[in-house]
Amino acid sequence: MEGRPTDAELFTRAQRGDQLAYGEIVERYQQVAFRTAYVITGSSADAEDAAQEGFVKAYRALATFRTGAEPRPWLLRIVANEARNRARSAGRRHQLELRLAEDFRPGDAAPSPEAAALAAEDRRRLLALVNQLSVEDRLVIASRYFLELSGDETAAALGIPEGTVKSRLSRALSRLRERAEEGARA
Amino acid sequence: MPETAELKRRLDLLSEAIDWPATPELTDRVHARIQAPRPSPRPWFQGRWALAAAIALLALAALLAYTPSRDAIASWLNLHTIITRVGRLPTVTPQPPGPLGKRLGLGDPTTLAQAQSKVTWHILVPASLGQPDEVYLQLPPDGPPEGEVTLVYGSRPGFKTSGETGVAVLITEADGTINAQFFGKMLGNGTTLTEVTVNGHQGYWIAGEPHIFFFLDANGNFRDETLRLATNTLLIDDSGTVIRIEGDLNEAQALAIAASLS
Repeated sequence: MEGRPTDAELFTRAQRGDQLAYGEIVERYQQVAFRTAYVITGSSADAEDAAQEGFVKAYRALATFRTGAEPRPWLLRIVANEARNRARSAGRRHQLELRLAEDFRPGDAAPSPEAAALAAEDRRRLLALVNQLSVEDRLVIASRYFLELSGDETAAALGIPEGTVKSRLSRALSRLRERAEEGARA
Repeated sequence: MPETAELKRRLDLLSEAIDWPATPELTDRVHARIQAPRPSPRPWFQGRWALAAAIALLALAALLAYTPSRDAIASWLNLHTIITRVGRLPTVTPQPPGPLGKRLGLGDPTTLAQAQSKVTWHILVPASLGQPDEVYLQLPPDGPPEGEVTLVYGSRPGFKTSGETGVAVLITEADGTINAQFFGKMLGNGTTLTEVTVNGHQGYWIAGEPHIFFFLDANGNFRDETLRLATNTLLIDDSGTVIRIEGDLNEAQALAIAASLS
């Protein structure tokens, strides 16, 4: 039985000019690309434009993709560059504000109504604190925890070295913890 | 730290509940875009910058007392760089011995932090080479209006020392959003010019026999102290920062350096 092609196989085929293979790459990565761009731009419309433009530019730059390299950081870097350009042009017009899904139901065994209400309240408070962080702190936390990007993917998305991701994340978590503790005492 | 571990656990739980905007369907749109022929770049001889470039070229030709052959090609690369192709390169006086900054017209020695405090753009450093051994800053009137920063890598494993510059890699950065300065490249027959893309940014790879590099200041004046022979060079525009990566490098090495800039 013919299995699903791996990302590496798709990239190799796309590098040889197979546009259908590249279409499959776009299909696989469009969600993470769009959400990464959204976290950077804070605007759904800008994120859509950045992701689309990023995929087009990545296709034209396929010759620079090194065989054997990880495709996700490579693609995310290109999309994130596009997103940063748009965010820069937009200035402070858009500010990322993440929201909770109203109909979210945790996947675990059904908690009691009280436990569910407490958990929902905890999520609401924590997200409010994340939204109040500086842009730099919010970006690194959103990249690692909400987009679930790896260290090198976060580095690519934020355009900073991987070592800086670690130190920036550590500082952002400390500040978030302090605010959470202040909130709990208040 | 247990509090941090607990916070991370709460963030993990929170991630499942984020209300993301619906992901748009991009596959068909991207497919349509990559199938469409790319718009041709505007001919170099159109536009006011090309006109300025042409004037600068005439001035340069006069200064060098050198007449380009009838087949000479001049191109405006939209990277603040004028490329002229000539049948035979004029002879360049070897750089006098002295400090690197003086010898190569790089400006004054400084540190990354000091340079960053003087320029408006974010200075990009290649993660693949690490911190530079030396940093130079060239400010007006000798440099472009927003200044120019050069990162010097004296030696790095796997990189040869360039016979022209005496160092392994030179990375020069200037603000490309200011349309007021030009760099110039004069290529002979033994030098190739190839269009490349680095992380989605347009660029050019100049390789082969050494070519001539020169600088025109904000007023379009040719700075003869900057006339020198240069080795292989990758020119890119990284989101408004014009970057030159020069050294005795191959294309893959130069592209890898460029791709690691952040």
